[in-house]
Amino acid sequence: MRDIIKMAVVLTLIGAVSGLVLSVVYNVTKKPIEYQTIKFIKEPAVKKVLTGYDNDPVLDRKRITIGTDEKGNPLELTVFPAKKAGKTFAVALEGQGKGFHGLIGVMVGVGEDGKLLDIGVTSHSETPGVGSKVTETSFTDQFKSLKAQAPIKVDAVSGATYSSKGVMAAVNQAIGYANTFRKEIF
Amino acid sequence: MSLRYEFTKGLWETIPPFRLVLGLCPTLAVTTSGINGIGMGLATTFVLVFSNIFVSLFRKFIPSQVRIASFIVIIASFVVIVELVMQAYFFALFKVLGIFIPLIVVNCIILGRAEAFASKNGPIMSMADGLGIGLGFTISLFVLGSIREFLGSGTLLGLNVLWSSYEPFAFMLKPPGAFVALGILLALINLISQFQKARGGSK
Repeated sequence: MRDIIKMAVVLTLIGAVSGLVLSVVYNVTKKPIEYQTIKFIKEPAVKKVLTGYDNDPVLDRKRITIGTDEKGNPLELTVFPAKKAGKTFAVALEGQGKGFHGLIGVMVGVGEDGKLLDIGVTSHSETPGVGSKVTETSFTDQFKSLKAQAPIKVDAVSGATYSSKGVMAAVNQAIGYANTFRKEIF
Repeated sequence: MSLRYEFTKGLWETIPPFRLVLGLCPTLAVTTSGINGIGMGLATTFVLVFSNIFVSLFRKFIPSQVRIASFIVIIASFVVIVELVMQAYFFALFKVLGIFIPLIVVNCIILGRAEAFASKNGPIMSMADGLGIGLGFTISLFVLGSIREFLGSGTLLGLNVLWSSYEPFAFMLKPPGAFVALGILLALINLISQFQKARGGSK
């Protein structure tokens, strides 16, 4: 009987101390982990669509509430402002559109003057070699310096109409957010 | 049984995974480049050193019936610490090593050292043992990773070292290549040992 009590006490103690230590480590690393995740996944796209800034858009990121989902939870959007001498002159934000296989995520750079800077596909699962051509600059460069006014239309990649339309839908969604929440963003 | 011996035995005499053929899962899986080997090796070393120290400190309080469970909780805690810290400060490495970081928990080397050494020896000895075995593991992984990286992609530590028309021997980066490289290294190490034995007859 004594043995069983001892076993239970020792195991409980070890478990409790381990839990305590881990919760401390978790809290300390929570912020850096969030930063790193965004930096590694989104930064390449942010860097592609924004140029000439002197801040860290990932560090200065802003979250804006864009509405609520079916359950009434707030939907949030992360925007990455590009600043020069402390003044925001452009933002990058992400939109999504339905492609041939699932959603296509597109990072869109919008200038304060209401023009598109550039776009970059962040996530997609389009057919390699066919639909994936929409990630190439020959397609995405068409969006450069267009007026940021939905609906935007460009020439689709031949053989990849659905994928191209998915990218356009994503860009239009991002532009919609940028125009609707202009006040919060700039 | 000296401190020096406990440390150095892990570097050659019982170097994992060649002498103690333990921990083969991460050895084969992550050694596609030298730097991955170092990252995995150091993460394992950290866990090994601290789990050895703590197992050794608590060895008198832990009833033998629940020792394995206690060791696993201690090891798992340090693995989670490594995972979180790596994710926060070395994200690129974390993405490459991925699932093999949490799998350090079930790395036989760590539980093996806890059971075979730390639960019978003092904390300082256990630390030396963990450090030695861990560094040995790191060196092995680095060597294996570098060989595979050199042949498989023509680079060393990410730098191009071969002529530009070199056709990478991509087989080396695939799982079968890992077995081949490990087998050849094992054979080499056994060969050296045989020579040593024949010459000195000391062991």
